[in-house]
Amino acid sequence: MALHSAIKGKLISVIGDEDTCVGFLLGGVGEINKNRHPNFMVVDKNTAVSEIEDCFKRFLKRDDIDIILINQTYAELIRHVIDAHTSPVPAVLEIPSKDHPYDASKDSILRRARGMFNPEDLVR
Amino acid sequence: MSEKNTKNERSAAGELLDSLYLDMFHLIEAHTQCRIDIERTSSDGSILLARTKFQQGGQSLSTAQIPAENSAEFNALCRVKKAADEDISIERHPVDKENGYVEPLYWFSVLPPMSLRSAVDKFKRTIDLIAESANLQRELSRVLDGINRLRQTVALQ
Repeated sequence: MALHSAIKGKLISVIGDEDTCVGFLLGGVGEINKNRHPNFMVVDKNTAVSEIEDCFKRFLKRDDIDIILINQTYAELIRHVIDAHTSPVPAVLEIPSKDHPYDASKDSILRRARGMFNPEDLVR
Repeated sequence: MSEKNTKNERSAAGELLDSLYLDMFHLIEAHTQCRIDIERTSSDGSILLARTKFQQGGQSLSTAQIPAENSAEFNALCRVKKAADEDISIERHPVDKENGYVEPLYWFSVLPPMSLRSAVDKFKRTIDLIAESANLQRELSRVLDGINRLRQTVALQ
């Protein structure tokens, strides 16, 4: 599987609202593999947080996925899982949605960068 | 003598740390700019999707048209390729129905309107920006790891 995906190239997966998923699927990132596992999840108002978390963890385990796109509003719901993922692959990218613009202060990587400046360092 | 060596090492580590901090700031700036561009292109795409919905009806672009787990398998047209320098880029496969590379545009409409075709172009551009953003994010993460390691080393000295 790993060798196969290395030759074919890896996938971009999407966890997002209907418009985000429709848009990226139109862009050609969608796939349903031989095991009938899609690389996208449409989240609506009835989707439980545990379902988003399970899907995210499933995508993390798949070795054919290189980038996970998630609407920042849903990333906020599973922040503890996203913060715990420190490996560079797959890269987790928080993207804006139609209703919620991108907020740099919530982005995991930028929060990590901000953590570099604690008051003790500035005093020294 | 050893005190002088330690002082030199600390000064060299300090200079390296400064250079890493500078890299970090440049990467944060590029990362934020890239995210703004992603937001701009994806909202342009969303507006075009909304226009299509307005013209064709609310249910013309919905979850109902997206293949589900019980649908036939198909391959992604758009994949991530790793270059020699570890950076990634997007590779697009031509539509080839026999080998499972289907055109997603036709899930939504047999005769796709101009607004839907333009939306596709916007989202394709967004996907290119996503690859650029992922490269910047990985680079930023490497720099942050480097700063952390160096700070620990300096603290131990």
